[in-house]
Amino acid sequence: MRTTTFLERGAILLFCVMFITSCKKDEDDPVTPTAPPVNEEELITTVRITFNTLSDAEYKYFVFTDLDGDGGNAPVITADTLSEDSIYNMNIEVLNESVSPIEEITQEIVAEGVDHQFFYQVTGANLLLAYGDADANAMPIGQSGSCIAGGPSTGTLKLTLRHMPDKNAAGVSAGDIANAGGDTDIEVTFPAVVQ
Amino acid sequence: MFRSVLLFLFLFPWPLLAQPLGCELVLSGRVSDEHDRSGLGFAEVRILELARSVQADEQGVYRIEGLCEGSYTLQVAHLGCDPVIVKIQLSRSTEKDLFLEHHESELKDLEVIRKRPDENVGLSRTELDKAALESSAGRTLAEALSSIPGVNMLSSGPTINKPVIHGLYGNRILTLNQGIRQEDQQWGTEHAPNLDPFSSDRITVLKGAASVQYGADAMGGVVITEPVELPREGGLRGELRGVGLLNGRGGGGNGSLQGTIPSVRGLGWRVQGGGRYLGDAEAPNYVLSNTGVRESGGSAALGWHRFRGGVDIFYSYFARELGILRASHIGNLTDLQNAIESGEPWYQEPFTYAIEAPRQSVQHHLLKVGSTYRLTDRNELVLTYGYQADDRQEFDIRRGGRTERPAIDLWLATHTGDAVFKHFIGKHLHGKVGANGVFQRNTNIPGTGIRPLIPDFEKVSGGVFVLEHLPLGERLEFEAGARLEASRLQVSKYDLNDVYIMPEHEFVNHAFSFGVNRTLADSTHFRANVSSAFRPPQVSELYSEGLHHGSAAIEIGDPTLGSERSLKASVDVEGRWLNKRLSWGGTVYLDRIANYIYLRPQGYQLTIRGAFPEFAYVSTDALLWGLDLSGEFAFSARWSLRSRWSFVRGRDQVRDEWLFQMPADRGENSLIWRNKEAGGWRAIEASCTSTLVLEQTRYPVGLDFTEPPPGYHLLGLSCSATKPLGKNELRLGVQGNNLLNLAYRDYLDRFRYYTDARGSDVSVVIRYSWGAEHH
Repeated sequence: MRTTTFLERGAILLFCVMFITSCKKDEDDPVTPTAPPVNEEELITTVRITFNTLSDAEYKYFVFTDLDGDGGNAPVITADTLSEDSIYNMNIEVLNESVSPIEEITQEIVAEGVDHQFFYQVTGANLLLAYGDADANAMPIGQSGSCIAGGPSTGTLKLTLRHMPDKNAAGVSAGDIANAGGDTDIEVTFPAVVQ
Repeated sequence: MFRSVLLFLFLFPWPLLAQPLGCELVLSGRVSDEHDRSGLGFAEVRILELARSVQADEQGVYRIEGLCEGSYTLQVAHLGCDPVIVKIQLSRSTEKDLFLEHHESELKDLEVIRKRPDENVGLSRTELDKAALESSAGRTLAEALSSIPGVNMLSSGPTINKPVIHGLYGNRILTLNQGIRQEDQQWGTEHAPNLDPFSSDRITVLKGAASVQYGADAMGGVVITEPVELPREGGLRGELRGVGLLNGRGGGGNGSLQGTIPSVRGLGWRVQGGGRYLGDAEAPNYVLSNTGVRESGGSAALGWHRFRGGVDIFYSYFARELGILRASHIGNLTDLQNAIESGEPWYQEPFTYAIEAPRQSVQHHLLKVGSTYRLTDRNELVLTYGYQADDRQEFDIRRGGRTERPAIDLWLATHTGDAVFKHFIGKHLHGKVGANGVFQRNTNIPGTGIRPLIPDFEKVSGGVFVLEHLPLGERLEFEAGARLEASRLQVSKYDLNDVYIMPEHEFVNHAFSFGVNRTLADSTHFRANVSSAFRPPQVSELYSEGLHHGSAAIEIGDPTLGSERSLKASVDVEGRWLNKRLSWGGTVYLDRIANYIYLRPQGYQLTIRGAFPEFAYVSTDALLWGLDLSGEFAFSARWSLRSRWSFVRGRDQVRDEWLFQMPADRGENSLIWRNKEAGGWRAIEASCTSTLVLEQTRYPVGLDFTEPPPGYHLLGLSCSATKPLGKNELRLGVQGNNLLNLAYRDYLDRFRYYTDARGSDVSVVIRYSWGAEHH
């Protein structure tokens, strides 16, 4: 039987050192928080549509709120009853209410108005909505507009915000979403009651 | 765990293993003419050191028995040829084919053909050599591998492809890059392996569970990019390769240089670098907007090898920037339904090279230090350390000028250490015992402004294994092995209420393997293997929560998931019949995976962007089985027909339904024309290939957004040839794919909801090698 040489012992030692060092890593300090929790910067928690009569006598709100963002708790949807045979100014606000102070996202959307457009889809209810604003290319954004409430009726109002729609496609600038394309930033449906 | 490894090391009777043993090695092969590969009967092979010589038989086959390990100088001589001197390093019984030339006297570069590698006994393995890799030059690793029966490709559009082996992909297959397990966030179906397939001259695919040797994740198979062996002697050699691609209107290139430092015996080096630049891919009817890709990478290796042992240092860098089909970025389920109904991408722009969001930018560094030390003539210690850093940034389309800020920004650092003792016990039994350790840390780089999709974590794992190989005579060999591995995962994250939590998971797993290789006749080989494998759940499977934009789904992890465990049995038969005119092979396998983890729809969730489907990671028991077939029949000296088929089936045994995303049946038939030499060109090959993919009819009902697409048939043509120019060599290849410009969608393409696949494509490859001693 031959004895191990110096080199062999060296190799075995190296082998062991490798594993001792891995042991050390094994017993490393527990991970400490290196960064504060992330604030979702582009989070939209709230969409609020304000309907006010031309005389400012009456204010009505449709509100969609999901304070914890996607997933988690279910969103809360509320909608005031609109008065029959009325003409309203309509205004859409988009907010992040999970932070303090509340973040106003509406301006971000209007500033990128060329790449955004709101669409209003009414089913059942006797409501007529029309665009009242324009982007740099004189195409509608839809953040503000008007709403005519007709006779008593019940239905829904679906509000969609599309990012990068094709505003030149047929019917899009008139508010028809069918050919708009793009991807959806907001899509909320409110119950709509006219009385 | 590690203490027991140490104990094992100190208590193991090392000196006993170190006993000198008899010299049993066999050197055999065939001496042939390098032009027409005909056998040179009665050639003489002489070992100068031993002054021993043998005469080959009338076919040129020679065999020298009773050799010790060591380096030898062979002199090969034949009437009418100048004798050739070949130096070889013998560490195991080796088959070496020797070539002689009638006219010139040159030192020949020998291609070592290891027909029976003495590891992974019983597993089906396929090697892609340089020529096979070049036929898909300019494309991705998965595309290069998908010609192998049993290997498919999971894509996210034309730029992102992942290999699928026997129905398994991602973290269920292992990629060994330069011998180091590649760690590059493979949990994401839209994360392609971060390596350049052309930095290696040979890629081997093992189609079987190989957890014993390689540890966790090697369930479906292993993709091995073999390290290029460094030269030990000889002068400067180099290679330049250029690729042009019509679809994508771009190309790539790479070059390598290798040599030795004459003043230091055994010191060799190699540097290599390359890149790829492609614009938008094009489907037959439209441009796939934002599918450009650019890659760059390089590597440097230095090695010093003597008979007693050696040291290697290797470093590689790889960077990739790729665009993700713009039309695949969708807002909600309504958008997805619109995309499916419209039948073409909603976003189409003229061709461009520009890459916009959504896009990915990844960089991968690998540093490897390896050493081998021969303790005795037959026992060897191999130590390897690897460090990898994977830097991944994903950019999404965002509001308020945030598009230039990454939405996902991950830094994954991995240290791996391996120690393997290769030994002989007695005359024939030999094998490996070894230990591996992995330390990994994943960090979310702050500043994304988005809650991390996967949390920060630290992972430590260590394993020990033994794998012994027993040849019984010339025609039968056995292999058996076992592994024990423990891993600990420590996650650190904020929960939904912003409370900092540090959950910890521990997994202990074991694996075994048993394989047999049997040569039934010289022309027929039989292999069988039964192996178990394991995979601890990924952090994404445990802790995902939230919206995954790429798949328009809310994904919820389950922290209670346990390890997947698989038991796979495979039988592989290979034959070369009818005087080698018919060569065929078949692999049949059965793979049972307990605790198979997958995403399952759980209904819908209402968000401010509309409705999203909610998916949860759940586990079940899965059974996969399948058949790979290949055959080639030469019906004349130059013409042959080749056919390759793969069939995979996967069942969810608990719910009694088919598994989602299993490859459809696929076949490839080629008519090949080969000519060994004509007009100064060699290895001339032309082929016409028809690829048939059937419609996937076996899928779980209600799990997908749409029905699987219909089957399709693609036509391809290719030709290649090599021109020797003295010591240099020029190789040309032209390849056309989908030449009928068929508009089709593949079931394994996740972007089939949005777009057709790539249309017709023509690629041209030129390689120039110089300084090599060609045979």
